[in-house]
Amino acid sequence: MKQYILRRIGYSLLSLFLLSLTIFLFVRVTGDPVALLTEPGASQEDIEAMHRQFGLDQPLWVQYWHFVASFITGDFGQSFYYRTPVLDLYFQRLPNSLLLAAVAMVLSLVIGIPSGILAAVRVDGFWDSAGKLFALLGLSLPQFWVGLVLILVFSVSLGWLPSSGSGTVWHLLMPAFTLGWYFAAAHMRLTRSSMLEVLGSEYIKLARLKGLPEALVIGKHALKNALIPVITLAGINLVVMINVAVIVETVFAWPGIGRLLYEGVTFRDFPVVQAVVVIGGSMIILVNLLIDILYALIDPRIRLES
Amino acid sequence: MATPSPGPTRRGVLGFSAAAALGIVPDTARAAPDGQITIASHVSLAPTWFDPAETAGIITPFMMLYALHDAMMKAMPGKPMAPCLAEAWTVASDGLSYAFTLRKGVLFHNGEPVTADDVKFSLERYRGASAKTLKERVACVDVHDAERLTIRLNVPWPDFLTFYASATGAGWIVPRKHVQQVREDGHKKAPVGAGPYKFVSFNPGVELVCEAFEGYWRKPPAIKRLVFKVVPDEATRLAALQRGEIDIAYSIRGELADELTRTPGLSVKAAVGSATFWLYFADQWDALSPWHDQRVRLATGLAIDHKTINQALTLGHSHLTNSVFPENFDFYWQPPAPVHDPARARKLLAEAGHPRGFEAGDYYCDASYANIGEVVINNLREVGIRMKLRPLERAAFFKAYAEKKLKNVVQGASGAFGNAATRAEAFVVKGGTYVHGSYPDIDAAFVQQAAETDRAKREAILHRLQQLVHDKAIFAPIWQQAFISGVGPRVGESGFGLIEGFPYTAPYEDLTLKGKA
Repeated sequence: MKQYILRRIGYSLLSLFLLSLTIFLFVRVTGDPVALLTEPGASQEDIEAMHRQFGLDQPLWVQYWHFVASFITGDFGQSFYYRTPVLDLYFQRLPNSLLLAAVAMVLSLVIGIPSGILAAVRVDGFWDSAGKLFALLGLSLPQFWVGLVLILVFSVSLGWLPSSGSGTVWHLLMPAFTLGWYFAAAHMRLTRSSMLEVLGSEYIKLARLKGLPEALVIGKHALKNALIPVITLAGINLVVMINVAVIVETVFAWPGIGRLLYEGVTFRDFPVVQAVVVIGGSMIILVNLLIDILYALIDPRIRLES
Repeated sequence: MATPSPGPTRRGVLGFSAAAALGIVPDTARAAPDGQITIASHVSLAPTWFDPAETAGIITPFMMLYALHDAMMKAMPGKPMAPCLAEAWTVASDGLSYAFTLRKGVLFHNGEPVTADDVKFSLERYRGASAKTLKERVACVDVHDAERLTIRLNVPWPDFLTFYASATGAGWIVPRKHVQQVREDGHKKAPVGAGPYKFVSFNPGVELVCEAFEGYWRKPPAIKRLVFKVVPDEATRLAALQRGEIDIAYSIRGELADELTRTPGLSVKAAVGSATFWLYFADQWDALSPWHDQRVRLATGLAIDHKTINQALTLGHSHLTNSVFPENFDFYWQPPAPVHDPARARKLLAEAGHPRGFEAGDYYCDASYANIGEVVINNLREVGIRMKLRPLERAAFFKAYAEKKLKNVVQGASGAFGNAATRAEAFVVKGGTYVHGSYPDIDAAFVQQAAETDRAKREAILHRLQQLVHDKAIFAPIWQQAFISGVGPRVGESGFGLIEGFPYTAPYEDLTLKGKA
């Protein structure tokens, strides 16, 4: 077991290294941030001075070393655009992202799991078709479009909800629904397929043969096992919702981390983009690591096979 | 002999009356500030914009500077360089020194008086765009007393006041004692200035809240609170304006601007800034290129349907121009109006040996303005000039433009501050950042004007320079672009268009709500 955990930690660190290297190189491929911070016509001296100020005149490996060092020390440097510590910006936005992600997650689970169960139980029936349509729309309708339609209907036409910003529960509804719908569709599909697999298993057949009520078979015996992959996916989705709800947060001017990432990309604010991606990636790697360890603890075959 | 300043040092009574009419003298009879105006910004507000010392060579930071700070002189309604903290100034006859007298009794938000020492500190502290140029040319600042100082130059520099007062943040004054006390970071987090609004709070990327500074020397602002909200999505800004969540929405373009005009109670405000757009014939110095022929370049200009493009993209609010020099710039020369004449364009092409038109290569542009490029390319195709649109991401575009990597035709633009000479330096004359080639007579005129201290003579040279640029058809100008914003029904005076060439609302102390003016 110890060897298994150490190996998984090793893989996680390797993933983190590759992630940091990829994002470090990727942001630099997008171009020179100074070009966005100066007006066309700025003198070469001014441009060079700004390069020096941001450390962009250093060789790439030196810049990468500074980035890694800042990550290890938990610093992440200063935002080129906001000229404030990146970590301060991240933690200013984090509560908003946590709130939005939590509400969107609850919505996605409340909608996705029951509809997935219903679709599985009534497979090939009306509810299954309705669930599939719901999932298709949720996964295929662009979030910016859904967001703008909601704004047009509920803000402009009906005047019920504020169009953008944050501060009250009313501000939260439309962005949470827009974000939650996409993930509700994903959760619905996984719940459905997982339930169908479980409902076909021997122990469910046995439960039915023993004459247990259908509600008990589905609600207690089937759902318990079918939900394991859904909860695993939801955990990872939560991290994604917190860190990369870029479109929803931009359309609704929601002051979260997704918008911070959008601003970082827009202004080529390398430290911001690097920090958001590396922190978000670290969260996903950590969640996966914990899941791997938990699976190994629960199922000895996993650690023995490893 | 010293040149008198536009300040009230001469013809006192007349000057005072004129200044009062322009709203640049204290107005103490105004009611206490009241109410709130919420402005939705299209760009994320950067703390560097709160500090004049870090003003980049772009116009956006001035959106904040006009609220929080004040300058020695600055563009104001009806005046491109109105005396503000500096009540008067004189220029020495040798052009080597500028003597300033400060306005009496002006206070910073923390109650400290604005002194000559603060002016010196602010200039020396300035590290934004053009800092190197300023530091190379400014020899020293002599403070005579709390209200008088002299800025001395190493060489005569006719554009000094342009750079000091409008193109940079060097002439915007911060309190020395406070900045030194709270240090740079502290000052950025809670800036103190001498502007009409005090800083209250800032949430990066979200909002800035300011409160009226009742002790502002010009007049107390009419509005108690100004809130700048960042709403990046254009459609959301429009929805927020329609719902009354905000009072002013910056940057509403094209179809959304059209929607704005159709919404009862809302109004469109178009402010034409200093951003001119043009086609640059990058290959005109290559004898083998079709663009080498002046007739082809002239035909291109004649093929552009300026009026229709303007109507479609900016509701007709942009100014049609035949120059790359903004009409609000000092030393501007008025060229003949642009003409759309496809028949003449075809005739010129035929004379140039292209009776059936020609494959003209690539048309490069900043991707965010590819919509202009698409229309222009269609116009060119109508007369037989067939081009391929090559939109590049903004920074990549300007980098390639500056590195002279773009060929055929480049759709260029600049909104940089300055005057005709500074625009020519960057885009026309030899050695300029975006200059692929030049003409000896234009280069000579530029050198000549730079050494000329007599304003009238310099103006004549710069006019000649601009005429040469026009005659040689180095560029095919498109327009001087309008910046369209939306204003809600509560707003009385929105401030748009009060300051010529400034795209945002200002001066903020002039803003009013209906019924509360």
